Amino acid sequence: MDKEPEKIIELVNVKKIYRMGNEKIYAVDDVSFDIKKGEFCCLLGTSGSGKSTLLNLMAGIEKVTSGTILIKGKQIPKMSENSLARFRQRYLGFVFQSYNLLNSMTALENVEFPLVFKRVPLKKRKRLAKEMLVKVGLGRRLHHKPKEMSGGQQQRVGIARAFVAKPEIVFADEPTGNLDSKTTIEVMELIRQMARDNNQTIVMVTHDRSLATYADKVIHILDGKIQSIEEPAAENLPEETKAVECATEEIMGEEATQTTEEVKKEVTEKFVKEMKCPEPVQTFPEKGKVAVRVVKKTKQFHVPVQRNGKGKQ
Amino acid sequence: MKISDLLKLAFRNLMRRKARTALTIIGVVIGTISIVVMVSIGIGVNRSFDEMIMQSGSMTIIRVQKYGAIYDEDGNYVDSKEQVLDDSVVELIKGVEHVKAVSPVVNKYVRLTSGKYESGVTLYAMDCDVFEAFEFPPLQYGTYPTKENPSTIVLSPESMEYFYCFSGNNYQEKSIDPLTEKVTMQFQEYQTHPRKKEFKLDFENVAMMEQTDNWEYSYNIYMDLNYFREIWKKYANSLTLEDRKRALSSTESYEEIKINVDNINNVAEVQDAIEALGYATYSEMQYLEPLKETSNMLQMVLGAIGSIAMIVSAINIANTMVMSIYERTKEIGVMKVLGCLVRDIKRQFLLEAGLIGLLGGVVGILISYVLSYLINKYGAGIMGSLVGTGTSGDLSVIPLWLPFAAAAFGMLVGVLSGYFPARRATKIRAIEAMRTEG
Repeated sequence: MDKEPEKIIELVNVKKIYRMGNEKIYAVDDVSFDIKKGEFCCLLGTSGSGKSTLLNLMAGIEKVTSGTILIKGKQIPKMSENSLARFRQRYLGFVFQSYNLLNSMTALENVEFPLVFKRVPLKKRKRLAKEMLVKVGLGRRLHHKPKEMSGGQQQRVGIARAFVAKPEIVFADEPTGNLDSKTTIEVMELIRQMARDNNQTIVMVTHDRSLATYADKVIHILDGKIQSIEEPAAENLPEETKAVECATEEIMGEEATQTTEEVKKEVTEKFVKEMKCPEPVQTFPEKGKVAVRVVKKTKQFHVPVQRNGKGKQ
Repeated sequence: MKISDLLKLAFRNLMRRKARTALTIIGVVIGTISIVVMVSIGIGVNRSFDEMIMQSGSMTIIRVQKYGAIYDEDGNYVDSKEQVLDDSVVELIKGVEHVKAVSPVVNKYVRLTSGKYESGVTLYAMDCDVFEAFEFPPLQYGTYPTKENPSTIVLSPESMEYFYCFSGNNYQEKSIDPLTEKVTMQFQEYQTHPRKKEFKLDFENVAMMEQTDNWEYSYNIYMDLNYFREIWKKYANSLTLEDRKRALSSTESYEEIKINVDNINNVAEVQDAIEALGYATYSEMQYLEPLKETSNMLQMVLGAIGSIAMIVSAINIANTMVMSIYERTKEIGVMKVLGCLVRDIKRQFLLEAGLIGLLGGVVGILISYVLSYLINKYGAGIMGSLVGTGTSGDLSVIPLWLPFAAAAFGMLVGVLSGYFPARRATKIRAIEAMRTEG
């Protein structure tokens, strides 16, 4: 497509404020961006950064405090619960971290479920659901219940369910959060391929920066604010990203006994050495983590490193 | 969502917790049984009363009798007074609202003979115009007397049955067919003048009523009042001078005035109106009203006992639904996010509750039929003595409407008790629902 694709999602000055007693918490603080049709957009941020809240706001699951969210020209925050439900039936698909499959139903029935809400005739929806499951490689597991499948298989059922109604936009909230690295790649490939087949727009939330490689646009979020929007040229980004990933993993493996200063030093060295990075590398402690920022031309990498090897990756 | 999909989903959800669903349904079954059986017993008892009432005469009839009874405030008989009943009273009563027909009644005990057989019956003479208005039963043969043809004597079936004959030490009984056998009637009140011929009336023109439960139309014979006066005059002529005077004056006032009221519900009102005119009255209703009230009360008490079980089962359904919603919070959240309309979520839960109610109702009705059969077969004697009706009728009667009403009621109870849980389900916020485990 040579022509500039239409904007399918537009956020303008979106705020979400939670009140905890007298304290205001800015979960999403004045965020504006837009996503074009067919784009794979990744909301990247640490846990608690407000990225999931942002996704929920876009999907209409949570109400904004102020600002506008336009999806396909519709004001999501102003829609009634009923019209939102119909809107979701027609245009939105969802993939969840914890799959959110209905345990009492077989894979086929789970995939069929969104079509039931759309009043699709029985035979047609069975056929569509089956086709979808075959596409995600579960053609032989149609009548298995979620508990009888592995995490990767369950997530593939989840993907089939998200895509079965051919929605224009699919929201994915940490789709690989519960999967190992091998399945993560499988699942991500699947999502990307599905989206490309039908020119669907994907909005994915993740804290795993390696997944950002799949995205056309990466929006970095920190403390409810956009730190940067990155639109890497599709070709040159992946290698560098991998290098950073590799560095991070190594550091994290041995840092348990190290002090913050030591970690900082080591991270900096590794970055400069392994990435052969001529630009200055900034490191700074931040809320119990060490963040390393490599400034290279227009690109920013925000790498969280935990002080002691416990907790999340 | 389509209704078929909603139904399927509701069934599936009920089947997910088979034991719990079964227990809840059993609750409704018990509730339904208790209501249906209790109501059926109430209806049965009521019906027995009605039968009893029908046997004791027409319920819409009020009598004003020559010797009117006086009752105290509690309805106990204290005295009687003689009231003069003549045509002026008849006219007065005709003016009372809701009165359908009024007729003076003269009754005489008469002796009937047929060959060597004889029998005694009471003859009622009434205004022939009002026979129809008094709802006389249809006739087997003959016609009711009219102004033009007043001489017909209307017989009731059993009046011809107990003719007897003493020949020596033998007592014989037989029934007479007035169409083929000659029947002669004689008055008994006074002595015939020794030199005059005894007065006898041969039955020529007779009509026969059909058999009814009403005793009034079972043993007595009826005749037109004017025709009666005619033959009474003839009879009086056969008496001694002294008796003739007495006989003639005795028919100037009546033994009784009979009143038919247009509707059973107005009987008490008309009775009060006549009492207000200064005449003591009597009606079958007056005695059966309290009985009827008792039986209605019994029906209500039985219904109330049945309802308690139903209320318990309604609470049971509500509890099941609340539990079910707790368990399925996450599922509800997922459904909402996948685009399920709030309306459909609500419907789904209502449908589940309604299904529990309906299933329980249907099973309950089936068991009720069995129980009703058993009660009628084995329980009638025990319960009959308890309730105090000695009638042969069924103790438990399930009319056709009852099972439908019970099934509908069961479903209604289900839906009502499912309503608040269902509404609660729709208020669950998707975001929180999805965070819960399960």
